[in-house]
Amino acid sequence: MAVHAGVGHRLTGGTGRALLCAMSADSQQDFALAFLSILFEGAPFILLGTLISGFIDIYLPAGTMDRFLPKNRNLAVVVAGLLGAVFPVCECAVVPVIRRLVKKGLPVSCALTYMLAAPIVNPITALSTWKAFQGQNAAMMTSSRMLLGFLIAVAVGLIVSRISITAVLKPKLVESLEEPEKASSHAHHHDHDHDHDHDHDHDHHGCCGHDHDHDHDHDHHGCCGHDHDHDHDHGHDHGHHHHAPSGDGKLVAAFRSAMKDFVDVGVYFSIGVSITALFNTGIAPGAEWLDGLAGSTVGAPAALMVLAFVLSLCSTSDAFIAATLDKFSWGAKLAFLTFGPMMDVKLLFLYQTVMRKRFIGALAIGLFLAIGSITIFWQQLVFDAK
Amino acid sequence: MKPELRRILFAIAVLVWAAVLLYFHASGRITKYLAPDFRPIAFVGGLGLAVMGLFNLLTARQQADCGHDHSGEEGGHVHDHETSDMHPITALLLMLLPVGFSVAWTKDEYSAAALARKGLYDSPSQASPSFLANAMPPLTREEIEKSHRKTPEGFYEFSLMELFFATGDRELQTAIDGMKVETEGRWIEEKTRNPNGTRKRLYRLFITCCAADSRAIPIILEFGKAPPDFPENEWMKVSGTMRFPMEEGILHPVLMVEQAAPTEPPYEESFMRN
Repeated sequence: MAVHAGVGHRLTGGTGRALLCAMSADSQQDFALAFLSILFEGAPFILLGTLISGFIDIYLPAGTMDRFLPKNRNLAVVVAGLLGAVFPVCECAVVPVIRRLVKKGLPVSCALTYMLAAPIVNPITALSTWKAFQGQNAAMMTSSRMLLGFLIAVAVGLIVSRISITAVLKPKLVESLEEPEKASSHAHHHDHDHDHDHDHDHDHHGCCGHDHDHDHDHDHHGCCGHDHDHDHDHGHDHGHHHHAPSGDGKLVAAFRSAMKDFVDVGVYFSIGVSITALFNTGIAPGAEWLDGLAGSTVGAPAALMVLAFVLSLCSTSDAFIAATLDKFSWGAKLAFLTFGPMMDVKLLFLYQTVMRKRFIGALAIGLFLAIGSITIFWQQLVFDAK
Repeated sequence: MKPELRRILFAIAVLVWAAVLLYFHASGRITKYLAPDFRPIAFVGGLGLAVMGLFNLLTARQQADCGHDHSGEEGGHVHDHETSDMHPITALLLMLLPVGFSVAWTKDEYSAAALARKGLYDSPSQASPSFLANAMPPLTREEIEKSHRKTPEGFYEFSLMELFFATGDRELQTAIDGMKVETEGRWIEEKTRNPNGTRKRLYRLFITCCAADSRAIPIILEFGKAPPDFPENEWMKVSGTMRFPMEEGILHPVLMVEQAAPTEPPYEESFMRN
């Protein structure tokens, strides 16, 4: 969080002032027109995405997702790649979600597959991509993006399913997975009657309101906000603990969650649109250089993947940026639209809450090379052939 | 920062975005920014943002219970569904400053420098074929006279787009070459291939989705003498004879002007995808 705040302050500080001073009246007018037009185009789709995400956050128990996955490990990874169609979340929202799901026992391979695929393979992203590319190969771009996002995510999931989770997850997270197992075996050793109410083990007073029929080893003092990391799941439905809040309370919480998501995404969208507007109108230094790469078979997708990494756009709105890059090939735009939701500056920080740095580095390089190669091939095979 | 204050700040940011969207829609200025099918979406988006912002503002002090546990929260005070990536003030500034500056700076049109970047001085053959492939109306030689109205002065009314793209369509070019035509667009300096200072340019923008993806659609106006003096970007109605001369190895659409006069801008100033 501190890193994010630092980035924000720097962006609003020296760089911004220098740019403002350097901009002529003509440049200001050009920036404003490009900025507002992309903002007007993308903001409604961000709102749609964050409203759905907010309501899922509050109303959908985490355990719901586990029930959709088959027992077969490989098949489970494939299905995890499609879960975004049912539980659509953007890349900012998906990291906290999978962190919670992994803690609750979802296989890491399935969680990572869902994490990479869900921001792309979901109806909101499909709709926004299709709208953004209207009149510009919309159907082909949308289907190519969904397919490539799905295939890459499943490939990563299958690889991860064959390596140790200690190489993937942060040690602290691995420990939190192991502790319940130890505690679980201990509890089983002493207590086999899980139909009993274990409320007597706790020290609840007043308003917690959770259903603790099967919780073990808690150390509760006070009201809500308790650490339930050591909750046990003995095959019962413990995916998420629920109070019995009023409908109004949940609605307020859902709107708050949606607004928080909107602001989180809106900030990055605002920065991304600003940078895009500067390049789009030729104000930014290096705009000509970027244009020069547009004709390069290898340089174009590489440049747009780097741009996607830096811009850190939300998958629900990045298509509106990509659609304005008219000097670039479809393949390069596809690389932008596939790589960005899987790896960017803000995700780099978010991923560190779940994964080891070495794994994140390997993932970034692997995604860059795989998506770059496939989109170059895709350009020649599909787009050039049209 | 207290959660109530953070909610109020975030609600303000959302409401400002809502106000900007709704204002541009209500004032009609949205037509300069978005293609027609995006305008109702922007309006609904503005209303949705207003509802979300107002709801959160009015309930900022209300206790809300999501019904979840929140493992790992420090002290149980920071609610997992509301903790943001950034300090709320930083987030507020990053959301509002670019929008605020843009609203203050915008003139609803591009400068000549940006237009040059958007193809104002490109010849039709340099325009990306994939970009405007769907924009060309179906037009054959037989249809030209039937589908184009003739003015009392004997000029056929053409859109600038048809004249521009006729340069790349041999059949259409042959049909239109030498025809007396009338068209309208915005008046701007001719900065290339104008050794005698007898030329101007007429252009309109073509918008696919929004102004950021727009392209300039220009033709050259040849006066054969010093052109009349009109302000840059003035809307003009121009009549004359259409020619497609080869200059420096490239075909160019050139209108040999007989009449030029200011005119009212059309409702849709830019060409749209549909």
